Amino acid sequence: MAVPSQIDSQTNLILRLYVFWRILFALLAIFGALAPWLGYFPVDSTWLKGGLTLALSVAAIFSGVGAVQISRLHHSGRMISLILDYLSFVVCTVVVLNTGEIFLGIDALAETFTSGLPFLGIAIAGYFLGSLDEYFPQKEQTSESSLKIVGQWVMLTGFILFLWRVGAVNGIFYFFGKLAQPLGIISVFGALIFGFAIWGMTQQKIAYALHAKNSDEQIINGWLFLSPNLLGFLVFFAGPLLLSFYFSFTDSDAFNTPNWVGFDNYARILNIRFAWLTAPDQLAREVVDIKIYDEVGRFLIGNGGILFAAADKFFWLALRNTLTFVLFAVPLSVIPALVLSNILNSKLPGMKFYRAIYFMPSIAAVVGISLVWQWLYNATIGYINYFVTVGIGFWNNLFNLAVVDPKIQWVSDEKTALLAVVIIAAWQTMGFNTVLFLAGLQNIPRELYEAATVDGAGAWDKFWRITLPMLAPTTFYVVSTTTIQAMQVFEQVFILMNPPEGPNNSTITLVLYLYRNGFQNFQQGYASAIAWVLFIVIFGLTLVQFQRQRRSSIYEG
Amino acid sequence: MKNSLLMKVLSLLVVASFALSACGTPATEAPATEAVVTEAPATEAVVTEAPAAEDVEIRWRTRPDNQEEIDVYSQISTELDAEIDGVTLTYEPGGSEGANYQDQLRAEVAAGTAPDVFWIPGTDVADFATRGLILNAADVAAATDGFNVDDFYAGPMDHLTFNPETSTSGAGSGALWGLPRDVSTFALYLNMDLINEAGAPDPRELAANGEWDWDAFLDVAQKTRALGSDVYGYGASAWWGPYGVWLNASGGGFFNEDRTACALNTEESLAGLDFQRSLYQDFDIATPYGEDAEPPFRAGKVAMFQNGRWATPGIRTVDFEWDVVELPAGPSGTAGNWLFWGAYVINANTEHPEEAWKLVQALTTAQTQGKISALGANIPSRVSQEALDAFLTFSPPANNQAFLNGIAADANPTAEGPLWAGSWPEFDQIMGPAIQGVLTGATTVEDFGATICDEADKVFTN
Repeated sequence: MAVPSQIDSQTNLILRLYVFWRILFALLAIFGALAPWLGYFPVDSTWLKGGLTLALSVAAIFSGVGAVQISRLHHSGRMISLILDYLSFVVCTVVVLNTGEIFLGIDALAETFTSGLPFLGIAIAGYFLGSLDEYFPQKEQTSESSLKIVGQWVMLTGFILFLWRVGAVNGIFYFFGKLAQPLGIISVFGALIFGFAIWGMTQQKIAYALHAKNSDEQIINGWLFLSPNLLGFLVFFAGPLLLSFYFSFTDSDAFNTPNWVGFDNYARILNIRFAWLTAPDQLAREVVDIKIYDEVGRFLIGNGGILFAAADKFFWLALRNTLTFVLFAVPLSVIPALVLSNILNSKLPGMKFYRAIYFMPSIAAVVGISLVWQWLYNATIGYINYFVTVGIGFWNNLFNLAVVDPKIQWVSDEKTALLAVVIIAAWQTMGFNTVLFLAGLQNIPRELYEAATVDGAGAWDKFWRITLPMLAPTTFYVVSTTTIQAMQVFEQVFILMNPPEGPNNSTITLVLYLYRNGFQNFQQGYASAIAWVLFIVIFGLTLVQFQRQRRSSIYEG
Repeated sequence: MKNSLLMKVLSLLVVASFALSACGTPATEAPATEAVVTEAPATEAVVTEAPAAEDVEIRWRTRPDNQEEIDVYSQISTELDAEIDGVTLTYEPGGSEGANYQDQLRAEVAAGTAPDVFWIPGTDVADFATRGLILNAADVAAATDGFNVDDFYAGPMDHLTFNPETSTSGAGSGALWGLPRDVSTFALYLNMDLINEAGAPDPRELAANGEWDWDAFLDVAQKTRALGSDVYGYGASAWWGPYGVWLNASGGGFFNEDRTACALNTEESLAGLDFQRSLYQDFDIATPYGEDAEPPFRAGKVAMFQNGRWATPGIRTVDFEWDVVELPAGPSGTAGNWLFWGAYVINANTEHPEEAWKLVQALTTAQTQGKISALGANIPSRVSQEALDAFLTFSPPANNQAFLNGIAADANPTAEGPLWAGSWPEFDQIMGPAIQGVLTGATTVEDFGATICDEADKVFTN
């Protein structure tokens, strides 16, 4: 984009208007920042008030800077102006939609949508009617066929009827009716003003005047495309993440104003004691202050041992169970997937069908799966024990043995409860991992295998020396994501076990425990602290995996 | 060009349809359900004020167990909407596949979008009341003609009128946190085919003769268990209700008398727990603890299945002869049964507390409770002969009286309730897995007794 030698009077006037607009914006933002504290704008929460003031103060400062930069014909003024106006436009649009009760009205659409489906069917029929045109070559290529025109009008009619049937007409009146209040009118006006300001700033003459370059336009377009996802990330992920970090230093119960407690929550989690036991069955109360600590476990050595006690024993039990779960669930989800993917990678007939079959558990709802497994695991009428009983009976009869039916209590025995969860998780995750490995396998150049064949390598050598090393990036990804997923195990335990903690807390996991604290024990602050400790544990494990992987020359290329 | 314009118009219409039809007000058509209950007069004047110039909207919610209950509650909401002047009611079932009732409710309370009136379990009342989440309706109740807390079962009302500032309960305590929606209690669902096949005495006859105690129970259970390795004498679910009755029946319990400390380690509590442990570990007559006992019962593999009235609708579908009997009496002379309940409470942030109170009253009249009870899952919470007479007609089971015997005053049931001096969820979280450890044979009763209250007492504030 070339830099103009001089600016025409009209552009100059527009730029002056932009300077004025930025000053006005800054003044309005300052007023908005002060309004809640002066009582002009009621905001109940002090934190919300503070956040609003901070955001508007920053906006006011940037707007002021923008005014100065625009008056200097500096491009940073244009960027600031675009960013502020764009964000303000988004805010106004959201307020418009909220004031018109679009978000609350989703249920209404759900209720009426079905009744409009026949008309939607007419519209779809119109589309197919129009597309039939392709099968009937036209004499005049320049004009549209009557079939196409008829199809389009059928589509249009179908859509109009659909809109009428689902209540869109009522919706229009309802929406505008709701907007007819000060907040609605102001936000509509705001959206129009900010939209107009953005449009003006993107005009070529203004861009020239503010020394815009091609790279600047590319940057703007890039951020514009990124903005929906970025804003969503900031509002719905980063925001709550930071909020939970703040809550972890409070006694929040999610309902009342939280009190700052500093590191108390973390101190409670990490408050542990080790004590010597003089006898294997010595009670915990004899060696630790039982008003503070509970026994987590004991390591017996000879006639004594070491007692491990903690102020929050459930956290440590949950950590132990979670790590145990990861230790078993990850290999059982990854190794069979690797084997399966090699089998499914062969060009035998029906392999596509089997790929779909193995992938199905991954797309099925966890709740449904867990309920089905609950029935399978039932110790008295479950199919697993039934087949075990039938199998043992068969072998006993065949070989005249006297093997006792174990009648495994899968979910009610503390020795097998976690294993039952591991089996479900491995079964469910294996299919997805198989697909990932398959993708990795198909990226390995066939020439390597052909060369190995020429060199006389057998199947095992090819797998060990070509497949595994070449799959290292995929394996790393699969192991990392499966580990992270396993560290967050919750649904299977919550549905399968009754109570979810299992016999003697054998299936209590970290996410289950933080759910208990946050949603049932009214301890959102403490639950947030557990979540951050879990984050640190997962981060640490992933970091170790990264470092180990970096040592591998293959992944780094 | 023309084609492109048309496609743009169509695309815009599609987008507009999703956006604008979402703005439409929902058409809440109440499903047609038949009137299912005998007419029972309301004992209180629900509607006392002149119609307001403009209706206020009251949203209310209660946890339904199935679509049938949703239909009946919707029907009741429509009827009460017509009865109560100045109020437009909206019923919301609450809960979904992805969020259970309590989680969703708590999230909405925190967000300030909870309904004006909602149902909570009896164990949650203290947590909600002490955090200021529900309204103390004592003042508005005192101004209501004909309202009397004694019209409801005393157990729930003791908790619902508990004033944490004065630690007193009753009509004059200055506190009223809500009114009980219904009550329930445990009974033993009997597979009479198994009992007859085993030649065991009929528990109903034993109960009628005053001979239904733990020994008689064990006798029936052992005889039916002897029918086969896959047939069990007894089954129960794994939560505090089923195991609590054995502790209560031996004279023990979860808490001390004023519910300010753990009593799980008392001699009586441990004796009750030991008897229950013996059912699983020594006599081997019970379905494994922690496994859902309802599927094997419904499959005809369990002779006596302990559960509440709420299980009745499901049990009605079994294809064997069944009935119910009250729980057997323990060493204390009573069955140690529970009086389960949940309450309609008023959102502390409601803009219409008086209208919300009218709704709570209307939802707990004998007439309304009778309609709910007709589904077979609940017992009316109002001590009203009309309501109880109506309940007895809702069969099977033939021996409906067993449930009423369980909540009768001389059965001395222990009312489910919150911990005003501690955290019930935390207590339950400590107690449940520990007791499961005992009942599955991983922990001895002695070890349990030696440590449990050291842990559990931490949840009490004093």
